[in-house]
Amino acid sequence: MFLPTDSARQRIDNLHTQVLNCPKYSMTRDNFNNKKLYGAIEKPHNSFEVTICGTAKTGLDIYEEYTLNPVEYSLLKVQTPLTAPGKKLNEYYKNLELDKFSGTYDKALHIMHTLYYTFSYIKGATDIHESAETALSIGKGVCQDYAHIMISLLRMEKIPARYVVGMMLGEGASHAWVEVLCNGYWYGFDPTNNKLVNDEYIKVSCGRDSNDCSVIRGKFYGIVNQLQTESVTVEEV
Amino acid sequence: MDGLIKNADTINKLLARYGVKFGIYKNGEFKEQLFPFDPIPRIIDNKEFSYLEKGLTQRVKALNCFLSDIYGRKLIIKDGVIPEEFIYSAKGFLPPCDGVTPPKNIYSHISGIDLVQSKDDNWYILEDNLRVPSGASYPMIARELQRRSTPDTFLNNSVIDNRNYADLLKEVMDYVNTGGINVILSPGRYNAAFFEHSYLAERTGAILTTGSDIVCENDNLYYIDYNGKKQRIGAVYRRISDEYLDPMTFYEDSVIGIPHIFEAYKKGNVALLNAPGNGVADDKGIYYFVPKMIKYYLGEESILLNAPTYLPYYEQDMKYVLSNFDNLVIKDVAEAGGYGVVFGNSLTKEKKSEFIELLKKEPRRFIAQEVIDFYDLDILDNGERVPRKADLRAFVLSNGETKVWPSGLTRFSRNPDSFIVNSSQGGGFKDTWVLSR
Repeated sequence: MFLPTDSARQRIDNLHTQVLNCPKYSMTRDNFNNKKLYGAIEKPHNSFEVTICGTAKTGLDIYEEYTLNPVEYSLLKVQTPLTAPGKKLNEYYKNLELDKFSGTYDKALHIMHTLYYTFSYIKGATDIHESAETALSIGKGVCQDYAHIMISLLRMEKIPARYVVGMMLGEGASHAWVEVLCNGYWYGFDPTNNKLVNDEYIKVSCGRDSNDCSVIRGKFYGIVNQLQTESVTVEEV
Repeated sequence: MDGLIKNADTINKLLARYGVKFGIYKNGEFKEQLFPFDPIPRIIDNKEFSYLEKGLTQRVKALNCFLSDIYGRKLIIKDGVIPEEFIYSAKGFLPPCDGVTPPKNIYSHISGIDLVQSKDDNWYILEDNLRVPSGASYPMIARELQRRSTPDTFLNNSVIDNRNYADLLKEVMDYVNTGGINVILSPGRYNAAFFEHSYLAERTGAILTTGSDIVCENDNLYYIDYNGKKQRIGAVYRRISDEYLDPMTFYEDSVIGIPHIFEAYKKGNVALLNAPGNGVADDKGIYYFVPKMIKYYLGEESILLNAPTYLPYYEQDMKYVLSNFDNLVIKDVAEAGGYGVVFGNSLTKEKKSEFIELLKKEPRRFIAQEVIDFYDLDILDNGERVPRKADLRAFVLSNGETKVWPSGLTRFSRNPDSFIVNSSQGGGFKDTWVLSR
């Protein structure tokens, strides 16, 4: 399970984690520098619950992170099975005529605007394992699909792009958007809302696609039906 | 040698009795096959072995440098020696390993390098196996049994004693051990190489175990014995592939792995042999670049030759491949074990144009190589000596020093028309003699 961390744009304070039924847990960083909480419960149990609360000061800057060495992020130029383009994405990409734009930032903006106006937000149209190509063919989906499609298009243009999971003010669930590497700076773009990431956003984790960032990942042994719920509350203080 | 030939049947019977088998899955069914042993050994004289030893040591050193660089500073990409696409699109590149340094900075502890000798007497590297190369146990036990049947043969022919493999392996495990016992982690009874797992455990004194007897607690790894007693593990010679190692980091549905073992490894609390992520270095596409790596990291020219290889990824090579298609062997970089290998001249017209379409669509997925005219080795076929294609897997062990085991696994194809020697394709094996003169 991921925990939000400090970046140029946000600072996290008073972070409290409470893990029910799990006496032993540890912290680590993954290769995308996400902070990860993990542990194991050996005893039989009926429920398991993690609560994380804290305060985030956001909008400290307009970018997320600066790097002197963009080569280290080359991995984020490579498509994954979820972002790999097919016929539909290739066609869409061609119609964008990105060579009319010179800067990476402008290209990203153009992709975001176009996608926002040609793709519809409809819950339940896609499932959580939907690829960018399928979602685009359906023409509708949720924030995850917007993000995957935008990432796919950016990577077709050889621009490093990453998938971000986070929270927004007033939402009941987690949100997803895109970060783009422009001249050494990582900027956030939210194609679902056609917005640049600002102080309304709290970033939790990032990776190549949604698989790297799933809010919680785990395994249990036993033959029972499992129910998982997630709730996010963000209030202004 | 006559004694060996005379006893060949007995030795094969004994091998069967000792369970020297490998399992294969065909059409969803598990079947066990014997690994046929041929009594006529491959003989490598001392001078030739010294040459191979130098070349193999150099190659494995460079491959270890490459792995350390790729999961570290990536200078070889920055300096433009290998295009980044080749690294990041390689299936074996594992992002979770990025930035992780294994104990003593060794990635490939046990390397299996496959070579063939051509008719002009040159040795060529066919492929590097840096993930979980198997096969050392077969020549080990075959030699053991032959020594029992005709002990003088080895003395009279000045054959170097190869019974030190287990000691070499134990040295490697001890060298990287972070404090605790050595274990060999097997997927279990139904793995193709289960015989080898149990044999190597017995010979090295490591504990043979499966994932269900290991737990990870507070970022340390423990073996739980039949009494419930916990013992800390310092080194895991794991015989399960990267994807299945840790369901929390890699393939989520793995039931043979150990949850959180990767975190213990990342924090330096346990050594994994070989290191996860090595697949990026033995990728068939990366193979092309190994001589360049040797030059880049060691400042030396490659001693051993690569088979002449073309990357359809490069336009010039693609042209060559298309116009010489019938003379080449094309390999799918993602496949292993003799699967995904296509000889250009073996395809029907239809299949050929189908394949070329695929090649053009996914050039990064394939490499093309000149077919090497193998130097054949004699095998015994119903009492008659007949020539067959054979290769040699050399085992190279790294524990700060790089050492080549003075033996190896010689595999041959039983089918006179086949170049594919893999055991999963029905091949057999021979003893490999390295002479002291």
